[in-house]
Amino acid sequence: MNNTIEKLIKIAGEGAVQFSEDAILPHIGNRNFETPMRPMAIVRPQSGEQVEAIVNYAKENGVPLVPVSSGGPHYSSSSAPSVPGAVIVDLSGMKKIISINRRFCMAVIEPGVTYGQLQKALADEGLTISVPLAPKINKSVIASLLEVQPRLNSVYQWNYIDPLRCMEVTWGDGNRMYTGEAGGGVRDLNKQQAQGKWQINGAGPMMLDFCRLLTGSQGTMGIVTWASVKCEQLPQIHNIHTVESPSIKKLCDFTFEVLRWRFSDELMIMNAAYLSTVLAEDVISKEKIRKQLNDWQAIVGIAGKEMLPELRVKQLESDISDIAKKLGLNLSPQRKEIEGADVLGRITSACVGTHWRESYSEEFAQIFFVTTISKTEFFVNAMNELAKNAGYPVKEIGVYIQPQHAGTSCHCEFLLPYHADNLAQVRELFFKASAIFSEMGAYFARPYGIWAKLQFEKDPLAAKHLKTVKKIFDPKMIMNPRKLSTATVEVAK
Amino acid sequence: MALVREIYKEFEEIVGIGNISEEPVVLETYRCVAAQSSAHYGPYDQRTPTPQAVLLPGSTEEVQKIVLLCNKHGIHFKASTTFWSAQGYIGSDNAIQLDMRRMNKIEVDAKNQLAIIEPYAIAAAIQAETMKHGMTCNIQGAGGSTSTLASTAGWQGPGPSSIFTGTNYDNMLSAEWVLPNGEILRTGSAGSGDGWFCGEGPGPSLRAIVRGVAGTAGDMGVCTKLAIKLSPWPGPTYLPSTGAPPSYKADLYENFKYYTLCFPTWEAWAEAVRMIHENRIIYIGHRQFNMFGCDMKGAMVNILSDPNKQLCDLPDLLEDEEIKKQTESMRIDVQVVIAGMTMLDMDYKEKALDEVLRMVGGWKNEMMLKPDIANWALLYLIRMGRKNLNYVYCGAYEGHFGLSRGNYFYSASLVEEASAIKREWEIKHNHMAAVGGNSSMGGLGGVGGGGGVSWEFFAHFDAHDKESIKGVCEYFNKTNQWMAQKGLGGCMGKLNESSRRPDGYNRSQEEFNKTFASTPQPEVFVYQWMVKDAFNPKKLSGSYYKTLDPKAFVEGSGAASRGVFI
Repeated sequence: MNNTIEKLIKIAGEGAVQFSEDAILPHIGNRNFETPMRPMAIVRPQSGEQVEAIVNYAKENGVPLVPVSSGGPHYSSSSAPSVPGAVIVDLSGMKKIISINRRFCMAVIEPGVTYGQLQKALADEGLTISVPLAPKINKSVIASLLEVQPRLNSVYQWNYIDPLRCMEVTWGDGNRMYTGEAGGGVRDLNKQQAQGKWQINGAGPMMLDFCRLLTGSQGTMGIVTWASVKCEQLPQIHNIHTVESPSIKKLCDFTFEVLRWRFSDELMIMNAAYLSTVLAEDVISKEKIRKQLNDWQAIVGIAGKEMLPELRVKQLESDISDIAKKLGLNLSPQRKEIEGADVLGRITSACVGTHWRESYSEEFAQIFFVTTISKTEFFVNAMNELAKNAGYPVKEIGVYIQPQHAGTSCHCEFLLPYHADNLAQVRELFFKASAIFSEMGAYFARPYGIWAKLQFEKDPLAAKHLKTVKKIFDPKMIMNPRKLSTATVEVAK
Repeated sequence: MALVREIYKEFEEIVGIGNISEEPVVLETYRCVAAQSSAHYGPYDQRTPTPQAVLLPGSTEEVQKIVLLCNKHGIHFKASTTFWSAQGYIGSDNAIQLDMRRMNKIEVDAKNQLAIIEPYAIAAAIQAETMKHGMTCNIQGAGGSTSTLASTAGWQGPGPSSIFTGTNYDNMLSAEWVLPNGEILRTGSAGSGDGWFCGEGPGPSLRAIVRGVAGTAGDMGVCTKLAIKLSPWPGPTYLPSTGAPPSYKADLYENFKYYTLCFPTWEAWAEAVRMIHENRIIYIGHRQFNMFGCDMKGAMVNILSDPNKQLCDLPDLLEDEEIKKQTESMRIDVQVVIAGMTMLDMDYKEKALDEVLRMVGGWKNEMMLKPDIANWALLYLIRMGRKNLNYVYCGAYEGHFGLSRGNYFYSASLVEEASAIKREWEIKHNHMAAVGGNSSMGGLGGVGGGGGVSWEFFAHFDAHDKESIKGVCEYFNKTNQWMAQKGLGGCMGKLNESSRRPDGYNRSQEEFNKTFASTPQPEVFVYQWMVKDAFNPKKLSGSYYKTLDPKAFVEGSGAASRGVFI
């Protein structure tokens, strides 16, 4: 047992530190063809104080730390180390829902709180929270928000990073503080709430937007130990509809119009391969579902909440249907099921059992970036062309377009399932498509793995100044070192 | 202090002979009272220093060259647009003023709901351009004649429509920014040339350095361009108006309605605001006309909406029994606009609003339903182009209290107590207009989509009367104490006074150290010090960016155990 492990045990307790092969194995990352790296140990702190002590020890002794809040399997490379000797700081055991305030629709949660856990507690209060697409059962809400995973209802995103608001963070320099409105008061959450302060405004405090140094940072700046999140009223009526078309362009036009008038709740576009992957229970049902689907579909959620829910739903259904008709499309009403699959339940709920991404193939690669809805068709055409040239079956490519920030931009994702026998083919396609998309104007706002190199080569000044900021908040460079670095990609190659 | 000739010539070569001046008569116009807002006029005696020269750059490249030259010669610089705020003025003798009025382009991308704007694109112009495409923008509380870029990158940016459109904090997409060292940084997707649609990332966002809850007030370089998120405008391609000046009225379709909603208690008011917010009912929500004072607003609205009435009619109107009744009905009120994206949407919103009123026992004020008044108010709220009316009583005003915390149930519960303090001061002293005490006003969307209010009280005073200035300053000391006692932070009337010395010059670091070492979480100010040191090492700026030297933090009482900055 080395000194680091002894010290970690002293801070967090004996049962909270693991370094066996079994414990370490799930934390060796290899997603999207990155080089696997073995961590030294895993520590599971239970409080902000313990995290602060761990960071201060790591800073004094040059120990790399990788914060992780979700359970495995880990789909993003940020939760695996890029350097040897790292300690995984596993926050998944910090599962307290600290507060729920019905009046202000706010909740304060610890990083181990999952969507399933939070949704259940919120439902008891008549609330809910926006979700990413069918998250893993053990997906941390805070991790998902820090990763800026796209939400399904972009019209509720006044701010790009909504519903994330205030946080408690221990920066890489060992200082623990609150961000946003909470940073302007005493560093005691109970005292703040006793004064009627519910951590509503996530900006600042003052002239530095501390929260935005943490979002998208892949754990390179600090460790978050609680966050306040903006919730929504639980719908009293919640219907799901589909609009189908052989043309992605028509559905993009439909999406523009619906978003423009702020009409929908959930709204996204998927091709048949992607939607059938999300909905199916197994390979057989996937094929059955796919046969039922048109090439492209927009999924439209319509909700009636506290105030006259029936009237609201009726109005939205009528107005959205009119938009569809004007474009020669048809809003299929009340399509709750497709081949027995509960569409609404599937896309908005945590996925029980094996996650849908892993159900139908041995492995999958993902390429995702931010662009505008108007450009998505070009990327889809390019992907199809690249796949054809690589001999990869175009019909297997899943496409998911999720409007963000009320439609000013969108998440554009390609899902490439593969097996051992076509690994090399997909690997080549993945690297080639990523590079070509980057040249075409794909914005890798969440630059995992190879995308960091592609993105920062296009924007060297951002890379330079992010390093400047990193040195302020993590002067000893202990927080997830080499992530967001072009050097990471050199290792991968 | 004049610039050395050679240096003046170098600046002149950058912007051209017609876009630089050191004429005393010109320079004098670039000074203002050392107050929160130059436009409010006070209440302070001293004015900001005279700049060495005023430059009007015409492009980002010119701004870059100016900043590089300032670095070379150690000259301070400050850029400003519509000069609403004292924050835009210089704070030292060794400084030049950049007036950004030549950079005023607006480019609209309606499909992707965004506009790319330059510094001098005022909100009303952006709104007019975007309406041509069926879109509109959030107009900041400072009004339609002020710069949206300044409000977005330089300061805060909530406005009457923020409950629907989001605040300027929410709407900020990519930004172009000439750093204090002269580098041109583009944040988000524009940095890599991928477009202006996203202000976040790549990875952590450098946007964090541009602004937090507020922008850096020109202390960290010059923002030369940015993209903003737009919102739907379900009206015609322009804002039609009728009526004789100055009482213009909006002439819109039936899918726009203006109401003054009134409530029996502040608790009912807050509950209604909660329901309106959560159910996405309104397009604009602002407590607007109470700025004239709770005793006066009925009469003032009658004067302002009628071109045949004047301020001299005020005494008679205040005695009018019907107006008295209506004014009483509006004591606890808020002005709202609902906008139907379709007529079905309008029908829902009308019914939902009625249901909210039914549930809390509220009502629509009858007088404000009269078409002449309602359409006047509708135009007022949509365009926010009537800031001149803020000055009607005494020629100057200043905001104070600032009950703008997220918990509006709490802040609403304190309105009457705050009003009583003001009323007592109005009666005992003759320093400001006596309007009934309560002159609270502000929007319902201090946080995007609601969830906060941003209320200030207006103190109407005479900026040319020393007794009035002195008296209002003393009153603000009192309101500041009260705010602290109630756990509401400082009074907004005092907030920015702390950023400059009373003589209009920049604060020193030592002064800041004394102030910020004792704040509840001083780390905030230490990190701001570090960021300023990294991005603006020559400190060629003012003192609005509030910082705490790490050494002072560690040496400060009790702080050493909390941090290890050194």
